This record gives sequence, structure tokens and C-alpha cells, in this order.
Amino acid sequence: MTINILIGGAAGLGSAVTSHVIGKIFCSLGYYVFNYRDYPSLIRGGNNFNVLKISDKPVYSHELEYDLILALDQKTIDLHQKNLKKGGLVFGDKNFKAKNLYPIPVKDILSELEAPKIIENDILIGCLFKHFGVVLPALLKEVEKEFQNKSEIIKKAVKRGYEAVETKERIKKIGPVRYFISGNEAVGMGSLAAGMDVHIAYPMTPASPVLHFLAKRQLKHNALVFQPENEIAAMNMALGASYAGARVLVGTSGGGFALMTEAFSLAGMAELPLVVYEAQRTGPSTGVATYTGQGDLKFALNAGHGEFPRIVLAPGDAQEAVARIQEAFYLAAKYRTPVIVLGDKHLGESDYSFDDLKKSGISNKRFILDNPPKNYKSYKITQNGVSPAAAPGQGPNVYATSYEHDEYGHTVEDAETVVKMNDKRLKKAKYIKEEVKKLNPVSVYGKGKKLIIGWGSTKGAIIDALPQLKGYRFMQVSYFSPFPAEKVALEIKKSSQAVLVENSATGQLGDLIAEQTGIKIKNKVLKYDARPFTVNSLIKEIKKI
Amino acid sequence: MKPQDLATKEVNTWCPGCPNFGILQASHQALAELANENEISIKKTVLVAGIGCSSKIYDYVNLNAFYGIHGRVLPACLGIKLGNPELTVVGHAGDGDTYAEGISHFIHNCRYNADFTMVVHNNQVFSLTTGQATPTTEQGFVDGSTPMGVKDAPLNPLALAIEAGATFVARGYALNVPHLKELIKKAVKHKGFSFIDILQPCIIFHKHSVPYLNKNVYEMQGHDAGSRELALRKAREWDYSYDEDKKVPIGVFYETQRPVFDDQWPQLKKPWHKVKRDINWQNAVKEFK
Repeated sequence: MTINILIGGAAGLGSAVTSHVIGKIFCSLGYYVFNYRDYPSLIRGGNNFNVLKISDKPVYSHELEYDLILALDQKTIDLHQKNLKKGGLVFGDKNFKAKNLYPIPVKDILSELEAPKIIENDILIGCLFKHFGVVLPALLKEVEKEFQNKSEIIKKAVKRGYEAVETKERIKKIGPVRYFISGNEAVGMGSLAAGMDVHIAYPMTPASPVLHFLAKRQLKHNALVFQPENEIAAMNMALGASYAGARVLVGTSGGGFALMTEAFSLAGMAELPLVVYEAQRTGPSTGVATYTGQGDLKFALNAGHGEFPRIVLAPGDAQEAVARIQEAFYLAAKYRTPVIVLGDKHLGESDYSFDDLKKSGISNKRFILDNPPKNYKSYKITQNGVSPAAAPGQGPNVYATSYEHDEYGHTVEDAETVVKMNDKRLKKAKYIKEEVKKLNPVSVYGKGKKLIIGWGSTKGAIIDALPQLKGYRFMQVSYFSPFPAEKVALEIKKSSQAVLVENSATGQLGDLIAEQTGIKIKNKVLKYDARPFTVNSLIKEIKKI
Repeated sequence: MKPQDLATKEVNTWCPGCPNFGILQASHQALAELANENEISIKKTVLVAGIGCSSKIYDYVNLNAFYGIHGRVLPACLGIKLGNPELTVVGHAGDGDTYAEGISHFIHNCRYNADFTMVVHNNQVFSLTTGQATPTTEQGFVDGSTPMGVKDAPLNPLALAIEAGATFVARGYALNVPHLKELIKKAVKHKGFSFIDILQPCIIFHKHSVPYLNKNVYEMQGHDAGSRELALRKAREWDYSYDEDKKVPIGVFYETQRPVFDDQWPQLKKPWHKVKRDINWQNAVKEFK
């Protein structure tokens, strides 16, 4: 059983909040829910919409064909009615014009309640759950949980909406309550699980929800969140805090990360632990600011001048985001190396549902010496290239420097030391690669002879499409630097056919595979219309091959 | 502790006779005296440098140190304070670094009023890149990048800092070491953002400033540093130009108290690396159920 619901209206009418509440209520009844959010770059007006896919089996993607439309304005109907399934219904004000309108006296109820326009969506929530036969007390309980002290007027509106329609189906509780969490919330939770001390970010869609999420919880979790004057300040502050001994997360999108790259190179030279969450959106430049894309893979791999080891990884859903962020903090601290966690708008701003929400068991160790020796060397040459870290204030002088330096951190220019210190830094890559092998850098789903290759948020649509793609299995690559070349090459060589699926115009992972393994992927399913894949669009394209 | 305890064995690569040696000497003396007076702990003091002649000081002071990138000394200082509020932080950068590349950070750090000190070595020229004009170079100055002469009036960093909200604004002269030492001590002791613009005439690319400043610099006497209006008036007494002799005041122009940035976060109490963390995961994820 699956139900697809679109909730739409002008920006500011609450389609995002409404869809979240509806999703959460279905999760409380034991259903699985995926919530896709689509909104243009404006604050009032336009057409924001969310698509909920609700199922009794796990779902990780949405569809663009709807069983129900909850319309907060006429425009929603005009834009999306064409995608209403046969026998589908539109819930909306009685004066709207729609083929299958279930007329609700939304405006009348609103004026009777003397409530603001934003309450309209709560009336529709009441309608929807009456339609599905959910009993009122259970519904009101969930509403109260969501809105807390604002809930009185909302509960009244839900009740009035509830009374306005007839029950069509009887939805029952089918299982335990599922977790409902967005990718960005998962990035925040993963950071807290990883023992993050400081988050520094300048607002940029689609990374800002992490800034809000962590800012709101900073006191509860004894962390500090700050928004400085620009991204350049953010990155340099992050490195200052990291030098002082804090575990730091920086959040941004492609344009903001572009501004940070000079200091990203400083992180490489000074060997300062750092985790950057880069939530990709459609580029180049400002691009399509509130939509998704995977065009920054090569940018992340090459950002910053000069040569230094870095770690680049990408989670495929919200549960993975928790664990991968924890890995990022661990690797950054252990190897004194900057880490980029690549997300995107689709991963960050979609809600996922899970039976359980786990954190990784990976260590939160700070990797800072308790008692650094008197003769402490900030850049001591060791067997694996990693110099034990100390924090300033502990006793001996601790250095961080953008210049080439000797083992203490004093500036040098002589040829011999330049080579020695380059070798020291680059040596770390080999050991990081060994460590990453233990972190499932490649996951394979299904058993077919033919191979779909993907990474990041495309995982959701691919996993959901897989049962309908006979003969295919799916290889998800999660680490790009260090690149699990042997494993990737092995999987491709085992396959009768390989197809790259990517939300980009050029297929950047294909180029990386060619560079790292010598294997050229000829079949590519690329989507660069700023929208994520859906199961149907994916199946259609793959069947063309 | 003696000032020479803060010296290092690194080879000094400033030009012989560079007034930067005066800033170095004053820094050694000021920090040693502050340590002896129990105002600071040397092991908990960090020097932050940018890029340029000024910032070579990184190698010459025996302290914890962060050698950042051009223009970004201030965010690095602020980050260090957020990383460990117990540290005493002193930033060093040039006029190009602070007033050109880093001007946005300068304005915002005056606003933020975090508790650290910023020392600008202002020689009114980019020296390490062989003499180009900076925002404080006087009009008409001719160099490799501006053969027809600088067209814009110089920026007045003191007036800007006062307007932007700095709570300690001073000017020193690199060739008046005893006076500069006292200024640095006052700046470090001040609770809040302390800023010293140090006139540090470049003897290679801005030679004419040496005789001019030697003739015109004077120590302010009886100036009321508590008055913003008087501070601004004093700051405008000299406009960083050399076309006619004008008196160049040095000393503390402005000093006031207002809430400090570091105190905005009740959770910012001790070095983060001493915080033990173990999240109650099941409890924390309840909100998603």
C-alpha cells in the first residue's frame, strides 16, 4: 500500500510544516514516510509544495503522481492537478476550481475561528485524517505534541476540518512508531553524537537548517554556534577554534565553500582537524538556489591550492548522515586532516523514516595529548605522518602555520625540509585509506549482473526502483578521497553492464572512476534539471540503455 | 621572566634597521612584564600573525602561535577565543593585511568586542610584495602598481575603529619603544577588543615617513579617552598624509567598557578539549519519534 500526497500553497502558508506534521502522524501509526520539499527562492508567494509518499514498507523517495492534493491556494491545483491519479481527490476551499474537488468551507471556518491565514493548513490536516478514519483524540494528541504551546487554536482548526469530511478509508496502526528525520537534522545529530564543540556557518541554502538546528540545541548539548560576517571569516574562525582544541563543524553550500577554499588549504598545511558539511545545490554560481544537484564532487576533491591529503565522503540518506558525520569527526581528529561531507538539497531537506535511528559506535576520542612533553613538536615526523596534537595552554608552545615549517612549526624555505614535510603530510593518505576500508566505503545492494553506480542522495530513488529493475544491483560509493578503487573496479569488472546515475550534467563520479581505476563508464543516466530522481523517471531512463 | 626569555633563535629576516624591531622589543617587554605582574600566563598566550613583513613576528616571539593567511588574523583570533576562552590572544598584521584584504573582519571585530588585542604594523605600504600602496597610503604616492600616483584619500583606521565600536583604540610609534610597551600592556589588560595602530615607517618603500614622523609624533597629555567625541577629534588630527607638517598624536585615543563577546555564551567557560562528552543518544533522538 502506498499513498502519495501533495501539499501546496504560496510560500508562507505552511506547506512544509503541514507535510511534516502529516508525515509524523503516519510515522506514529507505524507507516514509512518520505517527504520531498520543493520551494522556489522567495519568502511570500510562488508555489511551495511537499510530496509525501506513505507506505507500509520502507520508502526512500517520492513520486510525482498523487492520490491526494491538499491545496492551500488555486495555483496549487492549476499546477499539479495534471498529476492527480485517476480517482484522486483534491482537498481545498469550496470556492476553488478543480476536477475532483472535495469542497471544504476553509475560509468560513477561518473567519468563524477568527484565525490567521496560516491556520488554513491545520483545517486540511483535520480533513485528511478524517478521510483516513484516524480517531480524533489520537490526532489531537499528535498535533499537541508538534505545536506545544501554540496548539490551542490549531487544535480547534483541526477539529473543524475533521468535522467537515466523511471517512473514506480506515487507516490502522500497523507497527511501532517510526523515526522521522531530515538529512540536515541528521547532520546536526551526527555532529552532536561526534562530540562537536563549535559550529560556525554563514547562512546559505540548503545548509542553513543545520545552523538553525544546532543553534537551537546548543545550550542543551553544551556546544557553541556562531554566525560570523562571511564564509571566509567562518572558515578562519573554525581553524582558530580547531587549533585551540575544539571539534569544529563548518556548514555551507558550494558558493560559500568556494570562498572558504584558501583557508581550506591552510587546514591542509597546518594539519588542523576540520569537518565541512557542503550541502550542494544546483550550480554553477547562484544557479537554482533552492534546488538540488551533485555538481560539486570534483570541486570538493580539488578545492584549495597545493597538495595535501583530504577526506571526501557522502552519505546516502539521513541514517547514513548521522554515522558518516561521526566518521568525519573521527578521521579529522585522528589524522589532523580536513574532511568534506558532501550532502545536497535533496538529502538535507527531505524527511526520511526509519525503524531505528542509530549512531555509529566510532570513537569520540579527541586525539589531543593529555600532557604534551616539554620538547613538544607540533609537526613531529612519525611513521604514519600524523604528529600527536596538543592544545595551546597545556604547557609547551603549540604552533599552526600556513608557511612551510620544520617539525616545531618554525618557518623554513630550505629545499630539504620542504620535501621532508611534504612527504610527512602526504604519507597520511596511505594510512587513511587503510582505515577507510573498514568503514564500508562501498555498499552493494541486490544481486543482478548489471550494475547501477551512484552516490549521495540518489540512493533513495535507486533503492526504491531496484525491485522493478530486473537484473540490476546497485553500488553506492560513499568515500571519494581516499577512493576505494580496488573494490569499485572489482564490482564493475564482475558486471555485464555498468550505468552511472548522477544528479549532474557531466557524471563526475564516472570521471573519478576512470582516473582511479582506468575503467570508463559509458552508460550514464544524468539529471540536471535541478530536481531529484524519482523511481519512475529513473526506471524510464535505465530501460532505454 | 625577562624580555629575552621571549626571544627565539630563529634568523630574523627583517631589513636591518626596520622599525619592526621596535615593535618586537616592545612586545617582548610588555608580555614579560604582564607575566611578572600576573596579568597573563605566558603558556596560555597565543600570538596570531597574518602574512607580510609584520607577521614574520610569528617566528621571533617564544609563544604559542598561529601563522594564518593574509587578511584573516581577526577571525583566527576570534576562533581561538571561542575554542578556549582562557587564552590571551594577540594578533599582529600589517595595514595591507588588516585594512585592505581584511577590512570586513576589522569592522566586525570592532563590533563584536571579543576580549583580545589586535596590533597593526602600519607602514602605509605593502612591503613584502615590494612597495605597492595600501588603504592608508597617502594620496599621490607613486609605486609599481600606481605609476600615476594614488588617487584616493587614506583611510583613517582610528576613526573607523571608534565608529565601528572598538572599546580600546590607540596609536603607537614603533620608534618610541617605552611608550609602545605601555600601550601594549594597556591593550592586553583591557577587557574587550583592543586595537593599536602602530606607525612603523618602512625604510625601503616609504622612506619619507621616517623624518616626518620623527619630527611630528607627540605623546598625548591630558586627553580624555573616555569621550568618544574627543577621541574622534584627536583621531582626525592627522590624516596619514605627508604634504604638510601636522602633529601626529600617539597614545590611547578611546577606552570604554561594554559587554564582551566571549560572555554571550554561558556555555563558553573552559577549553573545549577539557569537556567530556557522551551524548544520551536514546534521549536525544526522542524528538524525531
